[in-house]
Amino acid sequence: MKEKAFASYHPIILFVYFTVTVFITMFTMNPVLLGISFVGSIAFCGMLIGGKELLKSLAYSVPILIVIALTNPLFSHNGETILFFLNDNPVTAESIWYGVAIAVMIISTYYWFKCYHAVMTSDKFVYLFGRFLPKLALLLSMTLGFIPKLKRRYREINDAQKAMGIYTSRSYVDRMRSKIRVLSILLTWSLENSVDTADSMRARGYGLKGRTSYAIYRWHKRDTIMACLAFALSIGIIWLMFSGYGGFNYYPTLASVDISVLAFILYAGLFILMFLSTVIEIKENVLWRYLRSKI
Amino acid sequence: MKKDIVVVVVIVFIIVVLCCGTKIQSVDDYYLTHIDDITEDSETVFLSIECSTILDNWNDLDTALRYEKYVPSNGIILEKTEYVLRKGDTVYDILSRAVRHNKIQMEYQGANLNAYGSVYIRGINYLYEFSCGPLSGWMYTVNGEFPNYGCSKYKLKDGDVIAWVYTCDLGRDVGCEWISNNKGASK
Amino acid sequence: MAILTLENLTFTYPNSTTRALDNVSLSVESGEFVVLCGESGCGKSTLLRLLKKQLQPKGNKSGKVLYNGVEIENLDERTSVTSIGFVMQNPDNQIVTDKVWHELAFGLESLGEDSDEIRRRVAEISGFFGIGDWYHKKTCELSGGQKQLLNLASVMVMQPEILVLDEPTSQLDPIAAADFIATLRKINEELGMTIILVEHRLEEVFPIAHKVVVMNKANVLMIDTPKNIGKRLLEEDNRHKMLLGLPSAVRIYQKLKANGECPLSVREGRSFLQNYKNTYPGYDIQNEDYSNRKKAIEISEGFFRYERDTPDVLNGLNLTVYENEILCILGGNGAGKTTTLKIMSGTRRLYRGKLRIWDKKIKEYSGNSLYRHNISCLPQNPQILFVKSKLRDDLMEVAELMGYDKEQSQQKVDAIAKELEIENLLESHPFDLSGGEQQKAAFAKLLLTEPKIILLDEPTKGIDAYSKKILADILYRLKKQGMTIVIVTHDVEFAAEHADRCGMFFDGQIVSLCNPVDFFSSNNYYTTAASRISRGQYKNSVTVDMVVELCEKNGKVKDNG
Repeated sequence: MKEKAFASYHPIILFVYFTVTVFITMFTMNPVLLGISFVGSIAFCGMLIGGKELLKSLAYSVPILIVIALTNPLFSHNGETILFFLNDNPVTAESIWYGVAIAVMIISTYYWFKCYHAVMTSDKFVYLFGRFLPKLALLLSMTLGFIPKLKRRYREINDAQKAMGIYTSRSYVDRMRSKIRVLSILLTWSLENSVDTADSMRARGYGLKGRTSYAIYRWHKRDTIMACLAFALSIGIIWLMFSGYGGFNYYPTLASVDISVLAFILYAGLFILMFLSTVIEIKENVLWRYLRSKI
Repeated sequence: MKKDIVVVVVIVFIIVVLCCGTKIQSVDDYYLTHIDDITEDSETVFLSIECSTILDNWNDLDTALRYEKYVPSNGIILEKTEYVLRKGDTVYDILSRAVRHNKIQMEYQGANLNAYGSVYIRGINYLYEFSCGPLSGWMYTVNGEFPNYGCSKYKLKDGDVIAWVYTCDLGRDVGCEWISNNKGASK
Repeated sequence: MAILTLENLTFTYPNSTTRALDNVSLSVESGEFVVLCGESGCGKSTLLRLLKKQLQPKGNKSGKVLYNGVEIENLDERTSVTSIGFVMQNPDNQIVTDKVWHELAFGLESLGEDSDEIRRRVAEISGFFGIGDWYHKKTCELSGGQKQLLNLASVMVMQPEILVLDEPTSQLDPIAAADFIATLRKINEELGMTIILVEHRLEEVFPIAHKVVVMNKANVLMIDTPKNIGKRLLEEDNRHKMLLGLPSAVRIYQKLKANGECPLSVREGRSFLQNYKNTYPGYDIQNEDYSNRKKAIEISEGFFRYERDTPDVLNGLNLTVYENEILCILGGNGAGKTTTLKIMSGTRRLYRGKLRIWDKKIKEYSGNSLYRHNISCLPQNPQILFVKSKLRDDLMEVAELMGYDKEQSQQKVDAIAKELEIENLLESHPFDLSGGEQQKAAFAKLLLTEPKIILLDEPTKGIDAYSKKILADILYRLKKQGMTIVIVTHDVEFAAEHADRCGMFFDGQIVSLCNPVDFFSSNNYYTTAASRISRGQYKNSVTVDMVVELCEKNGKVKDNG
């Protein structure tokens, strides 16, 4: 299986990384921080899903951005720079900018989640749970394996029943009844099949004392380095943010961007954190090409 | 195909309805309002807006608002002024006419948007609820009393004195007793 | 010492008066490859389950099962879990988790092995079974053959002493099945693993087994080497149902009532045939003329795909099914055979091309008129046709849907049941029937719609040779009544014996379509064992009966007596 460079880090690191990026994105309204997060998320997402797919998804995001930016002034009338009055309520430039910021935040968060989805495959997720709740992890893994089976069986039954010519009329009541019929067969059939699964589990010792939970993920040296780096950055960034650096107000007038030294450190730190994933991805690509050219 | 046409028609219809119900005015048009002149036989009320409690809680105030233009040094946003009382006017009507006349910013939440069934004043002169600590917001008195209901429900009579005051402590710092007793909110 | 010994094992299921096993004694030496065969319902599966402590069915048991001299019940849990590995019939149902690597690790996790040990053993087993390439895959993405291999590997990873398999290849196509058997042979030869295998399809298994156990109802008929079984079984009971299931070489040997060593494999069969002259070299092919026949189904330039961005499954398919013929469509997995059936039955629509049924476009069949007095379809899993808790209710429902009143329906159901000899099953729950019985019951359901065309999807999958013969009888009877039958199958032997025409599906098209003798004698690889045995000696003989007939006609070479 092709594991992208960043995705091959230990699941815990990936999970913490995405938690921190999303957390920071959701708790700041500073245009610089939001901008960094926005570009960072899109860049990484582009690396993961490819330029073409990215453009396709951006085509959906831009209208959403515009709609959110324009909707905010309808509900928020704060701000000094009044553009015009709508039904006796002021529409202000500040509230439009605020809407833009919210939209950027939502879209960045969306892209970070998209990256998360691409990177954190189901077994990584199951593994994270397995560390704390092995039983739940097994259940999750079984469920994830069961769903495709169920879907396939459903289709099979549906086709068979359809070819018997039972309830093929167009009436909704009949369709509902045929669905119920299919589901009831699905249920009986699956129950019968699950007897086999239970046997297979018992035959392989499920229920013995002292069950362990195996994972294919191992902690490498580079995970330690990555963990230290990301941890230091995250702590620094969060500490600076909570100390009030990089604060920003949209109301009543747009504040000026914090340009103190510590704020710059904050911006730089966030920049490194947010682009870490992209850089690793690019580095690995370049390295691979270089190694190949050597051969 | 048929479905698509139906959807398009519905969308167009909604847009038309929205546009008909929308009034767009420029800033100048909006403030170009006529205020009733006070004559001999007109009924009148008095209105004042002040936020002097903030001066005592300056450190709780949102940093973006720590300016003279938002919080005047004497705490008075609108001096006690006399306004003509039209028939059926509520506290809200007078406030809304006064701020429009004086070009003071004001934002409210419509009566249908909250649980109280009355207009709720969220902010005056960029000072909003929670702008100065978690217990801050706008309250009003009529003749020195804090009414226990919404400003768009309070019908005024001749000679009433309305005061909009900003509290930083759920009314306690402006002399309101009932909220701290039964945990209501400013209206 | 024998690694496994059964002593006078008798077993009765609760609420049953007949014994499922009656006084069975058997001993298995370490490293032996034992094949257990017998008609369905003879107690093979019960016997296998009694070997594994965790899977023992509830019931009345007497006699002993000894593993290395210790009774199975007295083994501690851990030993009984690890030392006896069990692989079941259905590849899908045995898989517990969602990922291949997790499935492999599952047993070791249960045993409480630590991560390093699991990693080492899983790596080792993946190497042995060649799983490395799909180690990270989701289990639902695997083919049937891969799934069963995974089930085998995840049992083998626990390092058992004995491997017990209950019809592991019955749900696989012939190529995957042959691969699976080859893997078993490798395990047996290279690791010296003791294997006990229950199997219907004996063609590949017979030549590699050390010992064959033939079971009759509930007891052992004979235990011997495969060669001796080939000789003795016919002498012992010339009507035994198992005779039909034996490998082609054995059946040719038996039918010729030959003496000497019994051939098992194709290779041995070929040298056995050298004993016969070839003055009469074989059959001529007579192709029937179909030009005057009515066209039942006609697909022209058919294209189909399941999703917008997946490749075409049908790729310019041209296929005509004529009235009153039995047409077999063969071909590898995923070639589009089942899809074609779904197109014909109207559950899927071509995105390009035409489909006509009785010269009428499929679109012109409105509502369910296509499924009344016209087309009926038997799915791979007949079970999924049943809804009610009694077979009779299920059949009555169809009859009533056909518009008959209660009394007429009753008559119809009884008539069909009588014809298919399932009267005794009418009151049972459809899910309680055996594979063969279920299929018959499903046939009853189809026939109640009074179809003119019947479509069958892998009807011989998972049923034994005797049930296949019953199926063939039903098909012949239906054909005589004027029905058109289309069968999608992997079973080359079945197609060779019973089809009027055979077609090979490849790359979304039918590649060759002709009568089975022509079809299988011109195929070199995808053909019947009988054809492979007789090739070189006789031409155009593709079934056991044809080979036997030719041998008898030609007579033996003299000097061999």
